[in-house]
Amino acid sequence: MKKQKMVAMILAGGRGTRLFDLTKKVAKPAVHFGGKYRIIDFPLSNCANSNISTVGVLVQYESVLLNSYIARDHVWGLDIAGGGVYCLPPREKDSTGFGEYRGTADAITQNLDFLDQEEAEYVLILSGDHIYKMNYDKMLKAHLDSHADATIAVLEVPLKEASRFGIMNCDDSDQIVEFEEKPKEPKSNLASMGIYIFNYKTLRKYLKEDEKNSASSHDFGKDIIPTYLKDGLKLQAYRFKGYWKDVGTISSLWEANMDLLSDKDTLDLRDPSWKIYTGDNNAIPQILGPDAQIDTAYITQGCAVNGKVKHSVLFTGSRVEGKAEVSDSVIMNGAVIGEGAKVTRCVVMDNEKVPAGMVLGDKNSKDILLVTKAVINAKKAEEQANG
Amino acid sequence: MDKILGIVNLESSGVHVEGIEDYRPVSAASFLGRYRVLDFMISNMTNSKVNNIQVYIKNRPRSTIDHITGTNYNINTKKGHIQILHGEKAFSSEVYNTDIANFLANKEFIEESDAPYVVIAPSHFVYIQDFNALLEHHVETKADVTIMYQSVSNAKEAFNNCDTLELGENKEVKAIEKNRGKYKNRDISLECYCMSRSLLLDLMEKARKTSSLYWLSDIIADSVDELKVMAYQHKGYAACINSLKAYYDANLELSDYYTLKGLINDDWPIFTKTNDTCPTLYKEGAKIQGSLVGNGCIIEGEVINSVIGRNCVIKKGAVVKDSVILPSSLVNRGAKIENAVIDRYAIISHIKELKGDKDKPIYVKRRDRI
Repeated sequence: MKKQKMVAMILAGGRGTRLFDLTKKVAKPAVHFGGKYRIIDFPLSNCANSNISTVGVLVQYESVLLNSYIARDHVWGLDIAGGGVYCLPPREKDSTGFGEYRGTADAITQNLDFLDQEEAEYVLILSGDHIYKMNYDKMLKAHLDSHADATIAVLEVPLKEASRFGIMNCDDSDQIVEFEEKPKEPKSNLASMGIYIFNYKTLRKYLKEDEKNSASSHDFGKDIIPTYLKDGLKLQAYRFKGYWKDVGTISSLWEANMDLLSDKDTLDLRDPSWKIYTGDNNAIPQILGPDAQIDTAYITQGCAVNGKVKHSVLFTGSRVEGKAEVSDSVIMNGAVIGEGAKVTRCVVMDNEKVPAGMVLGDKNSKDILLVTKAVINAKKAEEQANG
Repeated sequence: MDKILGIVNLESSGVHVEGIEDYRPVSAASFLGRYRVLDFMISNMTNSKVNNIQVYIKNRPRSTIDHITGTNYNINTKKGHIQILHGEKAFSSEVYNTDIANFLANKEFIEESDAPYVVIAPSHFVYIQDFNALLEHHVETKADVTIMYQSVSNAKEAFNNCDTLELGENKEVKAIEKNRGKYKNRDISLECYCMSRSLLLDLMEKARKTSSLYWLSDIIADSVDELKVMAYQHKGYAACINSLKAYYDANLELSDYYTLKGLINDDWPIFTKTNDTCPTLYKEGAKIQGSLVGNGCIIEGEVINSVIGRNCVIKKGAVVKDSVILPSSLVNRGAKIENAVIDRYAIISHIKELKGDKDKPIYVKRRDRI
């Protein structure tokens, strides 16, 4: 029997405005995470590990770096005959002018020709900005077993936080009966993870109709799913258990990195049966100098430490010089913490240099400080003003 | 057309790395927690824009074959390629398994190259060198053969059994002898040769006629009177990994930040095969200083002046000092290790102390349980 063909489509066009300067020059899915990864490595590696061979990545905002990054599909082992990673920006077509993706659903609608050409039977819609490990093949099996028109992955969240999510209200067999976007008084704690499997033929018909509807915002959660429900189509919830995090803000990005240090870490990046693959960078091994003091840290290749690091994550090629102190912080790629500098509860941006002796962040602050060039310059000016 | 055909040669006959070599040639052994020894020579070639590279191997090739693919070493794999070549015929005795015998077995691949020059460098040396500079010097001096060498002041302790060069005026090579550790200051041959490809083919024939025990270095030593053999000085760090102690020393020497940065920088990266291993987790109470660590480790104990390979676990209360631990080994609670080389997948537990000597590090076998 021919294998059921499922094509994955990763929505990677968002800017992620709440990440501020981190996404000034790169799209959110390309933001670094966990020492050596980029966020998009997670859905891409999940696809590779779930035996999905064709992956479309829908890009839009600041996509130059992201395009070239995903084009190296051998990194995830996705350079398979008949498959591969396809970079799909909005494009001018024979029948239409040049447009932009107007919503998550519109991004797929504009690439129906791609899905037709790939002879997709099932379409897996993923988001390019979540950290988790998931076997999509198992989800497809559940989808086939339930004979649903669409299956949505859901996560049990604490009820008091449920109003931050799209909530699925289900019957006893986990069939979805109602969908509420950020409900004030949630009836259930099953949050949508933004991961959908659709039967392609039906989805194609609905997307074509949605395209013509001028009142639609062309969004899966706001438009397509409610229409499916209204028309009485079968929507099934697929319960996911495990680590899942939307890293949409500086504090959630910081938190997700801190989770890697915990004894209760459930993401388990060490698991050899479900590796997360990433573009390699020929960095030297990590080097700990004679004066290094390390207490709870996640450190990757290319890092050099000769200062004090406490409860922090160091990304590729970052450096902590002698007598410097880094605590409860995330030091991104190539950033340098100068001699004697102190960095507490900070996310230091890629390639920024914290000058010797500078003190940034505060252990009692509620917020996490994103250390950008502007922050460093302002601190310099402040230090000069104070003599 | 490329000017240079790169040949990464076999380890020479004097190489004897106790223990390690029972499982793979030392050139394929883990190095500095992340590399294999031969990554240095292959990266020298690819960074010198040498696009066609032959890597010769003789015994136990699995590890090398597994490690080498063109895409790892930053060459255009369509225009150029990395070829792994081995002497396919059986040798009645290991003494006949020389580099010359292996070159002869693969003669057609040397003949079919269209590069006018060859650079031959053995895989068990660690240094960085732009081979274009060597070629330029070779052409300028109108030499037949150019030998790269290093002036060292530790020839008594290191570079044992390596060739030493006796240099005349203008750095012409007058004679080649073996280093028996008698003198401190010597000009040590790095056994890296530049010559025309046609001369290599001639020397291969000449060696074959002379003796089936001959290595390339032997026939070059024989030819110093007939050929114009010149020397080219290499500067900077160089090590010859020809014994367990040399392997141990090179690992520890390069775990110093400045020594390592002097060798590897952004302009001269050392390429290797990625293992997609996650970063290393240092837990509360870990103590680690003066060390080089690969990814994927869990460090809970104490690690001082050591090199820890990928995916190792150092448990709480364990102490590792002045040691080299190859990937995927486990050092259990309470174990104390000093001056040791621990091979892959070893498990050290239930032992109070495992202590070697700085001059004679102790070796623990692959998959050993102590």
